[in-house]
Amino acid sequence: METPFGNAIETVNLSMTYRSGKVDVPAVDDVNLTVKNGEFIAIMGPSGCGKTTLLHMLGGLLRPTGGKILVDGIDIASLSDAERTAVRRKKIGYVFQRFNLLPTLTARGNIELAKRIHGNGNGSGGGKYPDVSQIFEMLSLSGKEDFRPLEMSGGEQQRVAIARAVINRPSIILADEPTGSLDSRNARTVLEMLRNLNEKLGQSIVMITHDADAASTADRVIEMRDGRMLGPKSQFSFKPELERFY
Amino acid sequence: MENLVTANIKSRPTRTFISILAVALGVILMLVVGGIVKGTLDDYLGRTMAVGSDFILQPPGSSVFYALSDPGLNEKYADLVREVPGVVAVTPVLAKFNSKQFGLVFGIDWDTYNQFPGRLDIIKGNPSLQGDEVIVDQMYADANKLDVGMKTEIMNYEYTVAAICRPGAAVRVFLPLETFKERTGTPPDKVTILFIKAADGADREKVFAALQEKFQGFSLLRASDQNLLLAEAKMPGLNEFRVLIVVVSMLLAFMIILLAMYTTIFERTREIGILKSLGASQRFIVGMILKESAMICGLGVILGIVVSEVVRVAVVAKFPTLQVSMTTADLGKGFVLGVLAGVLGALYPAYKAARMDPVKALSYE
Repeated sequence: METPFGNAIETVNLSMTYRSGKVDVPAVDDVNLTVKNGEFIAIMGPSGCGKTTLLHMLGGLLRPTGGKILVDGIDIASLSDAERTAVRRKKIGYVFQRFNLLPTLTARGNIELAKRIHGNGNGSGGGKYPDVSQIFEMLSLSGKEDFRPLEMSGGEQQRVAIARAVINRPSIILADEPTGSLDSRNARTVLEMLRNLNEKLGQSIVMITHDADAASTADRVIEMRDGRMLGPKSQFSFKPELERFY
Repeated sequence: MENLVTANIKSRPTRTFISILAVALGVILMLVVGGIVKGTLDDYLGRTMAVGSDFILQPPGSSVFYALSDPGLNEKYADLVREVPGVVAVTPVLAKFNSKQFGLVFGIDWDTYNQFPGRLDIIKGNPSLQGDEVIVDQMYADANKLDVGMKTEIMNYEYTVAAICRPGAAVRVFLPLETFKERTGTPPDKVTILFIKAADGADREKVFAALQEKFQGFSLLRASDQNLLLAEAKMPGLNEFRVLIVVVSMLLAFMIILLAMYTTIFERTREIGILKSLGASQRFIVGMILKESAMICGLGVILGIVVSEVVRVAVVAKFPTLQVSMTTADLGKGFVLGVLAGVLGALYPAYKAARMDPVKALSYE
């Protein structure tokens, strides 16, 4: 179900508080974020500011302690674990910093697995999935189909991870530091791919990054600090090179 | 399509191999030990029935393993049995277990024993038994390289092979009753059992009732049907032993799979987190773990069945008188129980995996 305003994601007073002993530690505090359909946003901020927690909540991996998360109009914060899993399966693709490919499967096996999970385990996509070979060609991975993750470079692994994230045509891609483990050349390639996917397939992308160059690929950049969203800025107060001073 | 389950199995060859081996050991234990117990019992009961009697009279409180009891039945009861209407033949038998040859020896009265349908079918030698003569069956003769006229030692005494009978008789070694009594220190009036035959056309239930009336407190078994004999026979602990073997075997498979899969899910915590991030349901993860354990157990059970069959053939070849019963039904039961034990063993690890917090799993190093 689409929201009337065409928002892929909308959070309302979103909060997440962890309990450490007898102390409540707010990780995300009253965040109101809107990601339009087809929008590419980047979230920046120092380590521990709540970016990853926010991303996990948007993906339904974490249930917030307060507020709403509307994904294509569905408030996933009020759903059960199984229902959130179903929303994630149908609507969300994940890209991680450390690629997170299954080491026992080949590149093709990792992608086929995502298709199988998306098809509720019966593996019958009914032809709605893009052809794996085409995806490999598009991501310059031809010939690497039968390679296992450990037999590929970091850049190649991340491209396979992107292929896995987009194979089921999710409406939203959540990318957690997708260039964090890559050299600058591979990082640039990955960012270009994300941008292309966003433009060609119209998928909304929420990307967490420390890298201002990477963030500049996005349509909009949001800064977070101490669990709060500081809002869009053209000049960021957060400087990655100064992170150690935060 | 590449299968995650087989890929996981192949990626941990040592764990897989040890698990398969352990499951196979459980199955071998179940089939071979259970088979020996069942085979020996079936053989024993079958041989008892091979005499062709309708009833067996034993001293009070006896079990069907009469050879393990002291001969406590007065031979003169045979005359009392003959007085019961409908009884056509009675023969006294002194039965002893020859531990050296691992088999039963019957001391028989040649004339009355051969009034039974299970009379000795002599294929070589003289149809008589007296003095220090012995009749052995063909299998015993082959196993001990014996022929008619040769001397052989049985329970510390030397006998001459008078004849060789066809296999399938009650036991493999027959001695003259009086000689056997004398050489085993049995009192002259005592025997182990009386085999009783009802006349053709006689109402066996009436004969049975009359015998019960006459020999109150004695052990009287119907010997016309193996299941009946098994049901009526007192076999303390035997069924419990067979159940114990099955339980121990299943526990072995259960614990090995529980341990292997429990360890595996910790090794694979991050992978489970990845699956969850892809939207894998709890059912998908449970199914994956159960399929993996079922596959390991299936391979273990198949290996166990193959090795058990090899062991059975080897045991029978090495010890021809030992019976190992392994029917298709036993193999099927072994397969089902082995896989079931493994799947049950994987249930808890599968539940743990399915309930794993995806965020914690993803950050697991």
